[in-house]
Amino acid sequence: MGTVLSYRLASLEETIAQLSREDCQIMAGGTDLMVQHKSPMGAPARFDKPVMFIDHLKELKQIDQVNQDLHIGACCTYTEILEHPLIPNIFKVAIKQIAAPAIRNRGTLGGNICNASPAGDTLPLLYIFNAQIRLRSSKGERVVGIQDFILGPRRVDRLREEILTEIILPEMLADRIVFEKVANRRADAIAKISFAGSMRLEGGRVGEARFAFGAVGPTIVRSLDIEQKLKGEAFPLDPKVVDGVVAYFDRIITPIDDHRSTAAYRKTVALRLLRHFLETM
Amino acid sequence: MISNGKSKTVIELHVNGDSHEVMVRSGDTLLDILREQLGLSGAKRSCENGDCGACTVLADGKPIHSCLSLAIESCDQSLMTIEGLMGSPIQQAFVDNWAIQCGFCTPGFILNCHALATEHPNASDEVIEEWMCSNLCRCTGYQEIKEAVQSVVRASGNA
Repeated sequence: MGTVLSYRLASLEETIAQLSREDCQIMAGGTDLMVQHKSPMGAPARFDKPVMFIDHLKELKQIDQVNQDLHIGACCTYTEILEHPLIPNIFKVAIKQIAAPAIRNRGTLGGNICNASPAGDTLPLLYIFNAQIRLRSSKGERVVGIQDFILGPRRVDRLREEILTEIILPEMLADRIVFEKVANRRADAIAKISFAGSMRLEGGRVGEARFAFGAVGPTIVRSLDIEQKLKGEAFPLDPKVVDGVVAYFDRIITPIDDHRSTAAYRKTVALRLLRHFLETM
Repeated sequence: MISNGKSKTVIELHVNGDSHEVMVRSGDTLLDILREQLGLSGAKRSCENGDCGACTVLADGKPIHSCLSLAIESCDQSLMTIEGLMGSPIQQAFVDNWAIQCGFCTPGFILNCHALATEHPNASDEVIEEWMCSNLCRCTGYQEIKEAVQSVVRASGNA
């Protein structure tokens, strides 16, 4: 039956101790989890594991700068992130396109990451920032890059006794950072395609270019090889270079048809977003 | 707080200034407990997906969708439902501006707009429109709702 235990413990310490004893469904906001586990018309939501609430834990709600890195507690809500002075503006641009304020009052950054939706709105930016994920369990701590943490749709490299405690954002120097989300309407929409890109120029040449696509494959698509090849190219880029990059992504992105969009539409728009990003400054 | 799945757990909910002891199952949503156990039927059950905002309540002053919240999560929050807002300026503004058609979305909209006017007493049209994204009105009476909010924001901004 669907009725299970739930825990809402007073501290991170106790929460981690309990997770070392029992496999739980961690809930950090739950704005998508509840949609996945709801029952119709007033019956209780169904979970096959005990539910562990973590979004009330103060230890997971800090935002601090440590040297050049920004440390964001996993259970900061989107609203809290949006209102915080240390958060890079481009993240605020992206968060304002997530759902609507009432959802942003509950949804958390850590929840968005562990939910690992191919269309997760914060993910393309986290990828190009080379975000690091800090995980903690009763055995200790480890830090892993976001591109290694997210394994596939709804699958992340988190052991069952681990909690994602914070997201570390290294400083990124760029002359231009963009985030684009293509969806059916402005609010409360899941992305058909999302795109994040950053470009830093050095004396008329590309110093560093980073870009990533969301919702066009099982996970976020980014190519460090192509980014490396762009380094040192004269800017504005030669049309042949742009064509080459677009042709490469034409081969590696593999969008699907679903009720939100078609594979053909997703691919066409994703490649146009890429071309626009490469051609403009 | 540990809730045992085999039986219901007693929790205390703070709603509209009153404390209530209620028996809940782990999976009970806040919406269901408010409606079925506390008799506060102002929060409406509609999409149950977090899209429409008909179930909006305020938790510590912030609008949330009660269909996506489990009751157990709300035990240390101060909750407000439309029943706690009786006679408020925003409610009167909805009446004065004809911002009600079928009325089903109205409690959610009023609570959301009350929180908006409280948090942003000088809200710009842009901020008002952004906040209104949390709720849907199937009768599409958005313009009147916006005018109701503007009238309250203008009044508090001048005060």
